[in-house]
Amino acid sequence: MHPVLRLVNRNLTVSLNPGFLIWQVLFPLIYIFVVGFAYTSLIPGVTYNGEHVTYPAFLATGMIGFNIMNSTLVSGLIIWNDRRHGMFEQIMSGPYTRMQYVLANICTIGTVGMISAALIVGVGYPVFQESVEFTLYTIPLIVFASVTGSVLFGSLAAIISTRLTSSEGFNVVINTTFIFLAFASTAFYPAEGAPEGLGAVFYFNPLTYIVDAIRAGIFGGITPAVFVEMAALSAIAATLFVVAAKMMTKVDF
Amino acid sequence: MKCISAAALSKEYGDTRAVDRIDLNVEPGQSFGFLGANGAGKSTTIKMLTTLIRPTSGSLNILGVDALRDPLRVRRRIGVVLQQPSYEPTLSVERSMTKYGMMWGVPGSESRSRAERLMRDFGLADLRRKRNEDLSIGQRRRVQVAREFMHDMDLLFLDEPTVGLDPAARRELLDYLKEKATSGLTIFYTTHILSEADYLCDNIAIIQKGRILASDTPAALKKRLGRQKTITLRTNADDHAVSAALAGIPDCVVQTGMGASVTIETAKPEHILMEVLGRLRKNGIKMREISAEAATLEDIFLETIRDASGSETG
Repeated sequence: MHPVLRLVNRNLTVSLNPGFLIWQVLFPLIYIFVVGFAYTSLIPGVTYNGEHVTYPAFLATGMIGFNIMNSTLVSGLIIWNDRRHGMFEQIMSGPYTRMQYVLANICTIGTVGMISAALIVGVGYPVFQESVEFTLYTIPLIVFASVTGSVLFGSLAAIISTRLTSSEGFNVVINTTFIFLAFASTAFYPAEGAPEGLGAVFYFNPLTYIVDAIRAGIFGGITPAVFVEMAALSAIAATLFVVAAKMMTKVDF
Repeated sequence: MKCISAAALSKEYGDTRAVDRIDLNVEPGQSFGFLGANGAGKSTTIKMLTTLIRPTSGSLNILGVDALRDPLRVRRRIGVVLQQPSYEPTLSVERSMTKYGMMWGVPGSESRSRAERLMRDFGLADLRRKRNEDLSIGQRRRVQVAREFMHDMDLLFLDEPTVGLDPAARRELLDYLKEKATSGLTIFYTTHILSEADYLCDNIAIIQKGRILASDTPAALKKRLGRQKTITLRTNADDHAVSAALAGIPDCVVQTGMGASVTIETAKPEHILMEVLGRLRKNGIKMREISAEAATLEDIFLETIRDASGSETG
């Protein structure tokens, strides 16, 4: 087996424990079926691409992107945990290069992101099935957005993991980043209804691009704006990946 | 071909020179002890030898491979037990062993049988289902050492591997390593517990402030550097009388204040003993017990470091 695959195998064993998987399903389920339906009395529906979409359906599609971010930020913590528990040094004293370690982590994060997206599509499908307009073109778009988004957030987590050494600092940074990215995005509400300044902030957030692409893939309505968002998403993901890889090569023992 | 051949190896961190132009030669099948106090440069040296960090200068050849040019080729053939704990908290003992085997490319069935054997050898069989995070420090340490034997290697580096182990586990580990060394494995062992090095190693180097002060077999070091002997006397007199009687004897250090016991450290034991006996007789002090001990490795170590510090300050 190739060294990168051996490390991916190990990373998945370490990350995909039952607690993580339950949390990955339970957390969005609460959002979709508790928050989504509870808010129906306040938000009867959302107009998306000229069509009426129920709020739970709107939220469920947002939860796919949200869950990709959540799971990949968490699995990006492999690096943090490896450093904290001495496994980074142990692996680096074995038959691996740093680049193989970085690649393996990105592959792990991509895989976890896809598993996570698939879980939410499966769980949320009954909620948004009435508005679904899948085509042969939209499914690759959803997959591309999921994988690119995974790489982006995984790289972000890797950068944070390499820069911080104290647990307290790490928790503050990762939680603040998570809350900002989750709520200043279109995952929970459309940008159009938000106050002007806040709506603009949404578009400085890569989660918005992922969610918009996934929604466009599920509900139809792929506009030129979605392609611009995908290009921006790809550029940010590539930049963060390069930065993460560079920083990983500089981590000292 | 030497297993480890390092020449003028140095590592600098800014203005601090952690390791200062050391030379090391370790033969195949040798158990090499690397002794030093905390902060002497042991871990920095082992990190250079295992290619984890790059030396600032010098040359390094491990198992016939230029370690600076092709570190990955070196790492494929060595095992490393780091000083700091390394574990995957959520994995069970058994899983972490088999996964480690997988990471080294050991086939599944072979990996399972090795894990089984090692868990038995290291007394971990009853803990196999326990998660690493639920183990005590000593148990985790045993897993860390046992895990390293999941893969084949020609050279094993151990950086203070007995930290956290109880005396029985410590002796079991040393016996296990001795057995491995007998079957041809080369061992590079750092420690500041000198009795371990004395028990396990057939060659020793002492490092202090990044410099190697002495390197030889334990027996040769004792012969060459172990001039000191300790003479212990028990008398029928009190401290005050003994101190007065033995005051001013040259070439020795007399320690009183322990009731009727007196300890004398000297490099000229025969001469000093005659002088002491004469003085005691002259003062009417009777001797009840007398013993003399040769220098231990610990004495050598302390003496070597003391000499080095003395020559620096002098």
